[in-house]
Amino acid sequence: MFPWFGKKKSAKTAKDRLTIAIMSDRSNDSFPFLDELKAEIIEVVKKYVGVKKVDIQKETLDGVEALSIDVELEKS
Amino acid sequence: MGIVIAVISGKGGVGKTTTTANIGLGIAQNDKKCVVVDFDIGQRNLDMLLGLENRVVYDMVHVMDENIGIKQALIKSKMSPNLSFLAASQTKDKSVLDSDKIAKLIDELKQEFDFVILDAPAGIESGYEHTIEFADKAIVVVNPEVSSIRDSDRAIGILDSKSKRVKDGQEVDKFLIINRIDAKMVQSGEMLSSEDILEILSIPLIGKIPEDKGIIDASNQGKPIILDKNSKAGQAYKRVASRVCGEKIDFVDVESVNSGFMQKIKGMFS
Repeated sequence: MFPWFGKKKSAKTAKDRLTIAIMSDRSNDSFPFLDELKAEIIEVVKKYVGVKKVDIQKETLDGVEALSIDVELEKS
Repeated sequence: MGIVIAVISGKGGVGKTTTTANIGLGIAQNDKKCVVVDFDIGQRNLDMLLGLENRVVYDMVHVMDENIGIKQALIKSKMSPNLSFLAASQTKDKSVLDSDKIAKLIDELKQEFDFVILDAPAGIESGYEHTIEFADKAIVVVNPEVSSIRDSDRAIGILDSKSKRVKDGQEVDKFLIINRIDAKMVQSGEMLSSEDILEILSIPLIGKIPEDKGIIDASNQGKPIILDKNSKAGQAYKRVASRVCGEKIDFVDVESVNSGFMQKIKGMFS
């Protein structure tokens, strides 16, 4: 609060900066098997119906991690 | 069958090899058969820390590529009859590593030893993925310092996506070693505390190692600091090794300046 009364404790700064940096690193690293998963989903769905594309997002909602998978079908 | 433990870090220079040497010897002192394997191809160092550099005849690549038997390549440490060492290749480049050959090598070691400890290259290097591929568990070494902690999180991310165990639908248990803790700096708020680091990385702790000038002296002589019964770092590594062997050992406060004496007083009342 009064930085002129002495050096700010840098460990706290380190913790705050790290927490943000790591959070951003983690969200930028896409889901590890994304490409393989996409390819396999396309293969499976294609057996039954034409697939245009598959979109996968990793989401965190209220602390629960989920994969949201959108399968866009070809026009029949 | 033995357990395969990879010792990993994000960036280099955090004490990964020192940790491998000390834990390996500590496990051996706990009457378990242990082999330490240097996977840091081209940057062989574990042999020096174990004082075995003059005894290396064959290395890992000889075993994988040139029909040299594993028994010929393994070097027994004089410090403990339970400890063996397999050297990294110093000359060939990292591209020589091939998953099938590594799998075969590790499988042979698992038959012979209770613990197979792999000294990994830093997480950002190419040989890293090969080292973690067949690991059952991982020990993550960090320093209480931002770049080490941030990079270790990425190395953990690679482990969690590239290891065979994960691909087979299992987990690789990860344990954290915080190395080079300076109690005075933690107390004055200039160094991240172990609580802070655990909160950021959220993996369980297996050891807190205080900064210890004796580490340099130990490496000068090729005698891991765990052999020095008076060394704080050596004692801390001894506790880690026992925990790796499955013993329940309380964590010692290495972050209080008066640890030792005050600790004993506190212990009397708790």
